[in-house]
Amino acid sequence: MVSQPQTHPDTRSSRVRPYTLTGGRTRTRHQLLVETMISVPDYDAEFAETLMPESLSVYELARTPISLAELSASLVIPLGVIRVLVGDLAADGAVFIHPTGHSYQYDHTILERILDGLNQISA
Amino acid sequence: MRKILIIGAGQAGLQLGLSLLEHDYDVTVMSARTSEEIRGGRVMSTQAMFHTALQHERDHELNLWEEQAPGIDGLGVSLAGPDGSRALDWVGRLDNRAQSVDQRIKMAGWLELFEDRGGKVVFHGVTTSDLDALTRHYELVLVAAGKGELVQLFHRNPDRSPYTSPQRALSVSYVHGGGRRPEHPDMDAVRFNAVPGVGELFVIPGLTLSGPCEIPFFEGIPGGPLDCWSDRPGPAEHWNRMRELMRQYFPWEYERFKSADLTDSQATLAGGYTPVVRHPVGTLPSGGTVLGMADVVVANDPITGQGSNNASKCAASYLDSILERGDQPFDPQWMADTFERYWSLADPVTRWTNAMLQPPPEHVMNLFGAAQENEAIRNRFVNGFDNPADFDNWFLDPVGAEEYLTQVN
Ligand SMILES: Cc1cc2nc3c(=O)[nH]c(=O)nc-3n(C[C@H](O)[C@H](O)[C@H](O)COP(=O)(O)OP(=O)(O)OC[C@H]3O[C@@H](n4cnc5c(N)ncnc54)[C@H](O)[C@@H]3O)c2cc1C
Repeated sequence: MVSQPQTHPDTRSSRVRPYTLTGGRTRTRHQLLVETMISVPDYDAEFAETLMPESLSVYELARTPISLAELSASLVIPLGVIRVLVGDLAADGAVFIHPTGHSYQYDHTILERILDGLNQISA
Repeated sequence: MRKILIIGAGQAGLQLGLSLLEHDYDVTVMSARTSEEIRGGRVMSTQAMFHTALQHERDHELNLWEEQAPGIDGLGVSLAGPDGSRALDWVGRLDNRAQSVDQRIKMAGWLELFEDRGGKVVFHGVTTSDLDALTRHYELVLVAAGKGELVQLFHRNPDRSPYTSPQRALSVSYVHGGGRRPEHPDMDAVRFNAVPGVGELFVIPGLTLSGPCEIPFFEGIPGGPLDCWSDRPGPAEHWNRMRELMRQYFPWEYERFKSADLTDSQATLAGGYTPVVRHPVGTLPSGGTVLGMADVVVANDPITGQGSNNASKCAASYLDSILERGDQPFDPQWMADTFERYWSLADPVTRWTNAMLQPPPEHVMNLFGAAQENEAIRNRFVNGFDNPADFDNWFLDPVGAEEYLTQVN
């Protein structure tokens, strides 16, 4: 259809999968839904000292398995912030994200709105 | 590693995020949708992009669909005469190819690429209370969330925003089965069709999920016959209505599309918005500040097909400003300066686009008329889509237009 002026087809295809091959990949990654459970596999007191206050609270509470919804509600931290903090802790290997099942009974968006509404009232 | 948070996984946010990863920044992107949701969702734009913007993508190896997408080699102009035939019909050649890759493909692919290259992605529709708490955790927070609700953090700048209401009713369909363009069957080109008092019909060759396609796109003057989408018709009715309107107002295009079909069930879009330029720095209740980018701060009407191009140029310009800042703080003054640097590129685009929303003045009609006979004029107009600053010298200025015409004739 068109010529390929400034690309390098051979090196490119090995590094980058075209869209048709990548479908479905992110589903296996952490989705961090409101009901997703996290926990701390190996509590590390030295690591805890390096954390900012909010991340520290998440880290402490997750010593027993806890959902994002509960974290957000009990720490009075908006869900988006909880997601970011948990994502960072998970990237460091400090928390484990429990796989979430696939048959949901409820609408996540509605749950999130309720949760954010609750946080706003209590804030 | 400096920590940067980007809200919004569109052209601007992902291009900047991906290019920052090359320089070892710790980048998190927050996206309202997963890549599957983007890919399986509704079309968002017609996203024709010209050389400068495409080159920014190549610079960071983001041009993943360049080989599959039709190469756009020119731009044609048709103007309806009083009897429904065409008073003008010409095509100019682009010095460098343009392309349109369905944002559903591109943004979903870039989001996955961003994760592959070590970026962090958090799926969340961000609220201002999220941002209020998040600014503390990052050295820089960029809001690249398009025209969504977060724009309320950024005040409208009236000095740079002449309009207070939408100037066009927008309506788009992605279709397969349009025949080759009879005017120039061997060349793919964007076509700009205008009917005075009614509006415009663009046709853009693009790449969608099911392969190469054509994207007819109405820009209807408010209150006119193309402003008829408020009942939100379903996809089949949407495309039928577009075809019917083509038959009536753009009969030469109708011939091409009368037996074309929608590419998929999410291939239609209708709406409209007010063109606006905003102040670039948003302040949150906690005192934290965030910097807006692309559509958040400069949202022009798509009549000149520049928004994605601007988003790309904004990402490239912000990248330079961030890199040059080294280890110094990203304070509000730096944010304001960073935006002004981008604005030097966006300002000519904004003025040209706002002018194109008005009925063409006499000097523009003279230029378009002369272009019918003169290839140099055609090509200059067409290449202005890649370099809109050029329009200042001849197209937007009646005196400059006259001088140019004497010079070329
Ligand atoms: C009908 C139409 C036709 C167009 N045609 C062209 C054209 O031919 N050429 C061209 O250059 N431009 C065109 N444009 C304009 C172009 O599409 C936009 O200017 C461009 O996409 C802007 O890029 P962006 O990154 O600023 O925002 P967007 O592409 O809008 O991306 C913003 C992203 O942020 C996400 N988001 C929004 N709110 C939140 C939130 N609270 N939390 C998390 N994520 C959020 C959105 O889901 C989206 O993914 C067209 C626009 C329209 C409407």
